[in-house]
Amino acid sequence: MAMENLVVTPPPHLKSKEQTALAMRDVLIALAPITIAALVAFTYNALFNIAVCVGSAMFFEWAVRKARKKKVTLSDGSAAVTGLLLALLLPAKIHWLNMIIASFVAVVIVKELMGGLGRNIFNPALFGFVFILIGSGFLASWTGHLGFLPGGFDGVQAATPLAYIKHGLEGPHPSYAALLFANYGGAISEVGCFWILLGGAYLIYRKVINWVIPVSILLTVFILGYIVGSDGLYHILAGGVMLGAFFMATDWVTSPMYRWGQAVFGLIIGICVVLIRVYGAPAGAVAYSILIGNAFVPLLDRVFKPKRFGEVVAA
Amino acid sequence: MAELKTFKGGIHPPYNKELASGKAIKAAPIPPEVVIHLQQHIGAPCEPLVSEGDRVEVGQKIGEAQAFVSAPVHASVSGVVKAITEAPNFTGAKVRSVVIAADASQPEFQKKPGKDLEALTAEEIREIAKEAGLVGMGGAAFPTHVKITPPSDKPIDTVIINACECEPFLTCDHRLLLERTDDLIAGARLLKTAVGAGKVIFGVEANKMDAVDALRSRSSSYPDVEVEVLEVKYPEGAEKMLIFALTGRKVPPGKLPSEVGCLVQNVGTAVALYEAAAWGKPLYERVVTVTGPGVREPANLLVRIGTPVSVLLEACGGLVGNPVKLIMGGPMTGWAQPDASAPVVKGTSGVVVLTSDVVDLGEESECVRCGKCVEVCPMFLSPNFIVQSVKRGQWDKAEMWGALDCFECGCCSYECPAYIPHVQYVRKAKAEIAALKKK
Repeated sequence: MAMENLVVTPPPHLKSKEQTALAMRDVLIALAPITIAALVAFTYNALFNIAVCVGSAMFFEWAVRKARKKKVTLSDGSAAVTGLLLALLLPAKIHWLNMIIASFVAVVIVKELMGGLGRNIFNPALFGFVFILIGSGFLASWTGHLGFLPGGFDGVQAATPLAYIKHGLEGPHPSYAALLFANYGGAISEVGCFWILLGGAYLIYRKVINWVIPVSILLTVFILGYIVGSDGLYHILAGGVMLGAFFMATDWVTSPMYRWGQAVFGLIIGICVVLIRVYGAPAGAVAYSILIGNAFVPLLDRVFKPKRFGEVVAA
Repeated sequence: MAELKTFKGGIHPPYNKELASGKAIKAAPIPPEVVIHLQQHIGAPCEPLVSEGDRVEVGQKIGEAQAFVSAPVHASVSGVVKAITEAPNFTGAKVRSVVIAADASQPEFQKKPGKDLEALTAEEIREIAKEAGLVGMGGAAFPTHVKITPPSDKPIDTVIINACECEPFLTCDHRLLLERTDDLIAGARLLKTAVGAGKVIFGVEANKMDAVDALRSRSSSYPDVEVEVLEVKYPEGAEKMLIFALTGRKVPPGKLPSEVGCLVQNVGTAVALYEAAAWGKPLYERVVTVTGPGVREPANLLVRIGTPVSVLLEACGGLVGNPVKLIMGGPMTGWAQPDASAPVVKGTSGVVVLTSDVVDLGEESECVRCGKCVEVCPMFLSPNFIVQSVKRGQWDKAEMWGALDCFECGCCSYECPAYIPHVQYVRKAKAEIAALKKK
């Protein structure tokens, strides 16, 4: 009998179809609608940014793994996801060097030097983004879109939707419908959060993420927005909240393991978003907030460790 | 229809029961030689009662231990003791074994004159179980007479017959449920008498409704017997999960089912107890499901203990495809074999051959903290943090994250997108923690 190919490994001997690389592929699929919307709105500028960010992220991952004599793990797709998310966070008009620097910080410092995928504390794309947000003058080019779609602000120096939060929403500002579907100044992903919701729904349907973190963030921002006397709905539709809630805060590696920890994580992020937007500088508020949330993850994992089956809770 | 009873967590692997579930139990060929391990159970190994060259008859006790936690072993064939030697068991460990050369013609088993089962006392039933060498036949192989001797301060009110057969592929219990319904119910009621319980509950997964119907119709005259349908989910048949699903009681960490007034026994064990009590037949053969995409003609075989796996595979028409895993037991918890030489023991529920098209030998990569292991863990442990602690040699932390409460169902590894073999890490943690506690 043909038994020369028998392998001996510990149980279980069956395996689900779950694979890290497949999950990353799902994230890329989920990002497709917003990426296409960005390409439509910003055309070759968006294409250039995405190419630079994804390309450099993948190159840096390859280079740093080679340099550290480790197995090159490009096939897990995480570098591509990091690059794409980074591109989506940035405005259309930005010097390419900024993108290379952000990519380097994200992949080499925040991910690889922290131990590689799985061990990083902070979301690499967000950290790279914040690094250049603080360290470079690219904010000057933050406003204005270069696309051709009607319905958006066409002035190159028009204010971003977030600026209206800071300066009050009394005057003319984008409508909810416009925020859902149209393109405005800001990051290239701020071209209608409907497309992000679509991707988020796909991730939940595919069980790559669960609903707890996004719902917790959105609900917190929504309610707290009204509490501080702002427009809660405008808050969750404008800026990067939607992208952050579904694609950044839900990053497996940098979010809590347990449901209650995830809920509190979302609460922390939501509170930070509103406070920073209303009382601080609105640009980058979501990024700062999620990074602050990331720092709480080890604590949240300890505090919300589930009770073992049958464990009696000491009164 | 109301929601079926179940537990929280768990997985839905492909079951593939249809390969063998329709195959009636038939006798496997008797091999020219059987290798009977003197330790097939949890507890003390037996000392041989026979010597090389001795003639033995089928059913004759050939090994016994003085210790309470042990189970005697019996000759599974009539023949001559060829050797008493060390032989590798299904885990690869060498155990002392009695090798018997079987006679060319084997006698039919002669049932001893029938006993009045209703008149048996608890003490008599325990003695019957011990003498027959009964052990848990679901795989753990814990001596039955010990299990049915609960501590006197922990009264048992419920006997649960584990008829879930939640391991994919396996169908031996399903066949016993269908073909030996009356004997099974009688055996279960003996267990009830042995522990002084008030009732017997059969827990059957919803993928065996024919068995549910059979049990319900055959047990209708017994008010003390209940049949419950459970959700099809792995590991529904794990002791603590099953008790919770059926009674809502939670066995605390580190405690036994007696803590919550329950006794759980497998279908095969209950049938074997009936055979021992009614017919005077010791445990020298059992039903083994030989199945999987790598087996030409899957079957449920009545196999003499000590029969090498190769004989069973031949009886099923040999192998097909490209077999890469030969498993003794079920595919979730069973042991992969390097070849087909290991002999069947009392706890062998199946021989499963998986082919290259269904086996996914992905390479272990770094944990990405997706949390899927936590979601599926029926014990609410954190398999990822146990693995992390083991990698760092932090045994106290491994214990804190629940290593000792893990019963190694393998749900975590099944779901893990990073192909992490959590069970292997848990076993290492258990061994290290035990060694540290001895110091």
